[in-house]
Amino acid sequence: MASIFGFFVTHFGILRKEFWPLLVGGLSNGFIYAMVAIGYTMVYGVLRLINFAHSEIFMSGGFASFFLMRALIGSSAPGGVASVLLVIGGVLGGGLAGAFMAMVLERVAYRPLRRRHAPALAYLISAIGASYFMFNLAGKEFGRYNTSMAQPFVNHTIFTLFGAPVQMLSMIIALVGTVMLITLDRVVGSTKLGRSVRAVAQDAETASLMGVNIDRTIVIVFVLGGFMGGAAGFLYGLGFGINYTMGFTPALKAFTAAVLGGIGNLRGAAIGGLLLGVVESFSIAFVNGAYLDVVVFGLLIAVLLFRPTGILGERLGRSA
Amino acid sequence: MIKQWLGSPLARRVGTTTALAVLLMVMTGPSGSTSQPTAGFVQSFSERSSFFGLFVTQRWLVWAALALIVSALIRVAKWLKSDYAEMVAIPGRLARSAQAPFQTKKPVRFGTYGVLMIVAILLPVFVTDGFWQQSLVEQVAIFVLLALGLNVVVGFAGLLDLGFVAFYAIGAYATAWVTGALPAAAPFGVHLDPFWAIPIAIAIAMASGVLLGIPTLRLRGDYLAIVTLGFGEIVTIFLNNEYGITGGSTGSHQVPHFTFHVGPIKYAWGLGPVPYYYLTLGFVVLFLIIFSRLEHSRVGRSWTAIREDEVAAESIGINPLKYKVMAFAIGAASAGFAGVMTAAQTNFLSPQTFLLSFSINILVLVIFGGMGSIIGVVCGALLVQVVSTWMDHYTPFGFQSQDLYMYLGAILVAMMIFRPAGLIPARRRKREIAMSEAGEGHMDEMLTGDTP
Amino acid sequence: MSDDYIFDVKNVTLRFGGVVSLNDVSLHQNRGEILAVIGPNGAGKTSLFNSLTGVYRPQVGTITFSGEPGHSVSVIGRKPHLLNGAGIARTFQASRMFSALTTYENVKIGAESHKGLGAVGAMLGGPATRRGEKLSDSRTWELLDFVGLRAEANTLSASLSYGARRRLEIARGLATNPKVLLLDEPAAGTNPAEKLELTSLIRKVRDRMGVSILLIEHDMKMVMSLAERLYVLNFGGVIAEGTPEEIRANDAVVVAYLGSSDTGEAAQPSPSETEDTDAQG
Ligand SMILES: Nc1ncnc2c1ncn2[C@@H]1O[C@H](COP(=O)(O)OP(=O)(O)OP(=O)(O)O)[C@@H](O)[C@H]1O
Ligand SMILES: [Mg+2]
Repeated sequence: MASIFGFFVTHFGILRKEFWPLLVGGLSNGFIYAMVAIGYTMVYGVLRLINFAHSEIFMSGGFASFFLMRALIGSSAPGGVASVLLVIGGVLGGGLAGAFMAMVLERVAYRPLRRRHAPALAYLISAIGASYFMFNLAGKEFGRYNTSMAQPFVNHTIFTLFGAPVQMLSMIIALVGTVMLITLDRVVGSTKLGRSVRAVAQDAETASLMGVNIDRTIVIVFVLGGFMGGAAGFLYGLGFGINYTMGFTPALKAFTAAVLGGIGNLRGAAIGGLLLGVVESFSIAFVNGAYLDVVVFGLLIAVLLFRPTGILGERLGRSA
Repeated sequence: MIKQWLGSPLARRVGTTTALAVLLMVMTGPSGSTSQPTAGFVQSFSERSSFFGLFVTQRWLVWAALALIVSALIRVAKWLKSDYAEMVAIPGRLARSAQAPFQTKKPVRFGTYGVLMIVAILLPVFVTDGFWQQSLVEQVAIFVLLALGLNVVVGFAGLLDLGFVAFYAIGAYATAWVTGALPAAAPFGVHLDPFWAIPIAIAIAMASGVLLGIPTLRLRGDYLAIVTLGFGEIVTIFLNNEYGITGGSTGSHQVPHFTFHVGPIKYAWGLGPVPYYYLTLGFVVLFLIIFSRLEHSRVGRSWTAIREDEVAAESIGINPLKYKVMAFAIGAASAGFAGVMTAAQTNFLSPQTFLLSFSINILVLVIFGGMGSIIGVVCGALLVQVVSTWMDHYTPFGFQSQDLYMYLGAILVAMMIFRPAGLIPARRRKREIAMSEAGEGHMDEMLTGDTP
Repeated sequence: MSDDYIFDVKNVTLRFGGVVSLNDVSLHQNRGEILAVIGPNGAGKTSLFNSLTGVYRPQVGTITFSGEPGHSVSVIGRKPHLLNGAGIARTFQASRMFSALTTYENVKIGAESHKGLGAVGAMLGGPATRRGEKLSDSRTWELLDFVGLRAEANTLSASLSYGARRRLEIARGLATNPKVLLLDEPAAGTNPAEKLELTSLIRKVRDRMGVSILLIEHDMKMVMSLAERLYVLNFGGVIAEGTPEEIRANDAVVVAYLGSSDTGEAAQPSPSETEDTDAQG
């Protein structure tokens, strides 16, 4: 008893001391999880399908932007306006690659099954296969090692928050993340395009009767989610480098985030992502770093078992 | 003009043919790196390689020709008015003639089994090459065993278990534990012979299957897949990091071989694979018999009922959770047993063996052979494992062992698109898929697009 | 409550978000009775069945099932398979066969579902298992004869006619040895001849097997000829109760349910209304 008590006293002590740095780090990762989680949630919203291969879309974005950055930056150290433009370029490059791969994925691995009205198990298996194919192909082509990305800016501390240094990279991730998440929310919430997405999410059959083109809507969903995921791959690659297996763990965490926020719910995914980032970061105070993933998986299992509808509840249609 | 052409069927065909050819070139090309990301593609045009010793030429020619032939065949088939579906069905028809011996009348069937049995028994006599003898146990027999176990879970009960490898790991580590080969002290300080590890490891694996299953098997299928995947990862992380218990990332190198001491007979097995082959073969046969009995028993029928329509199954008194947990436990037990065999034969355990990819590998065997079809799973496992071992050994086109998963992934997608019930489909499964596709039955079904 | 009630439903309310499917429903069924529940589409009839069989869980009220006198179980919160074990069997509005199994297997699966787990027995094929198999085999044949499907025993259930599917579902339910059988629109999609067959089959189930019948049906001719008593549901609430004669004469029913002033012939909704209704069971 005393030792358990002691455990918490010590570890909460660490948490209190390191609160702000952990929060900053957690939020920074959280934005990336949120951006990836959006992809899961949107596809789930319209297809009731967990896009197992979303991790590879993230990875594709990472590689595409890696090559783009290398071509544009080389060994120079850009700054000022050039940095801003490069970051925008990286987001676009990663995002477009992600969107493209998502489109291909939908076309090759899902649509033939949809045409046949295949049972749900078939989609899952096809998605797992696609994921394995994609990342191993990337590994074969680009090597099976970690490479760091050419940096479009100098990553120095730009200010401190209650003594916690906030770095340029974290700021950029937060900024890009916020802008993209809000834009997507607007797009889905109040454009014609978004309306068809929501209509299909709510009731595909009725939507189709009302003249919504389901195939097209599904492609749009994949493209939007893919863009977010690919851009997230770029941001992640800036900090952690790129690797053919880079998608696996972040995507699993993003999936957890999507479930945490209520799968199918856009804002839920965003909030879930941030929350998960912070929870993961704070748990550093309590467990050995190797067990961080265990904490996340544990959280995923707990949410699925005890509150499968997540914090905000399911349903894409209601989110906006 | 151009726009019109781009939209034409011809353009689409040219596009898919080119894409297929490029993909094949890239897949079979040399490995690249971040500094030479296009190596695989570019060198397809310059480098000449041997095609199974038949001829030597540039790779791109071969793949382009192959892609052209495939697309031309499709074209010809369409032109001959036998429609596209027929064309796609050709591999199916071949497979059907292959499965005929297993599906006809009893005497023929039993005859086939008898012949296969004799072949299996005599195999080590003909396969004298050390590498292949070893592979027969490590890469084939054990995998057949694992595939049979996973088939109960995925094929019979319809549960996608991506953490199957965890039970295999549990079986292997349990063996190491009771034989005193782990840093963790063996129970009661007694170092048992691996033979005695068989029941213990099976029991431990089964118990973990039940413990994992009871809370998680209420979940929907896709969530279950992720949760089991998470479980597998947790087990791997634990094996990797608990140096004091599992030996951490170095694992254990001291699992003893089987020894057999009954009365005057004292026999200690060495590294030689043949005895392990026969032991595993014995278990494969045992599993074949009990699993096919299970399939045609009340239990098998209940699994079918639950898979098809859980609500209806409950309405006639079937407890879905009970049967799902049972499938899980049976699958876990077989994986646990395979774990014992592996540990005892190789003496060596490392967390690196027990990764998610391993679960995927087993899944491919089940899907390729045919979910729920015992004979299909056995044939599928044999085929895939022999070919992959062959590729690993002879490394055609600079094949690397990690490339295997690229092919396995492609197999999964291709099977789901062209032959979801597998090489030798299970009767019930095939019907089910057909029903689901015809809009009958209540198998969980995805959104249907507005097919034009 | 009376000891003669097989079902006793008290003040049951069932909501789905904002939708109230059952609103303060109270009703009962006497043991051995053929009771019918009628009402327009969306009245809550299927929801009532689902609540009685444990598929749905009403937020308010109590449901007591007592298969034998002095032996009652509370339904709400109990799992469907346990309720089936207690003696409640049902069919579904859109028939839900196990389409990958044959007619024979469909019935057999019902006959053997309550016989313990038996995995080990099944794997080893011991004598006890074989004896059990024999018992359920003979029970299955008995029931197939009873519903007249012996000839179709080895047909895939999905290729049966509508009428045959209905009879198969009844046989599958009966195989679990129920005290009460809940039939959700058994005549939907069947032709007049099949309707007659079904009517006599249902009566036979009650008379020969002593199984109480709770029936949802849109076909008024069938309801009026079978039912000894009826409840009328509308908008989730009970609006009338009585014998067929009383119901026919009830103005509220005529207005709410039949939607027209004349009784008799108009009591039969058009076939289009009865077909293709929601499959949710
Ligand atoms: N699972 C559910 N979720 C949400 N609403 C439901 C659900 N089940 C039933 N309802 C609603 O409850 C109401 C009653 O439906 P119910 O199926 O019980 O009607 P019914 O009387 O059987 O009609 P029908 O004659 O068409 O079969 C309907 O408004 C329906 O939409
Ligand atoms: Mg109804």
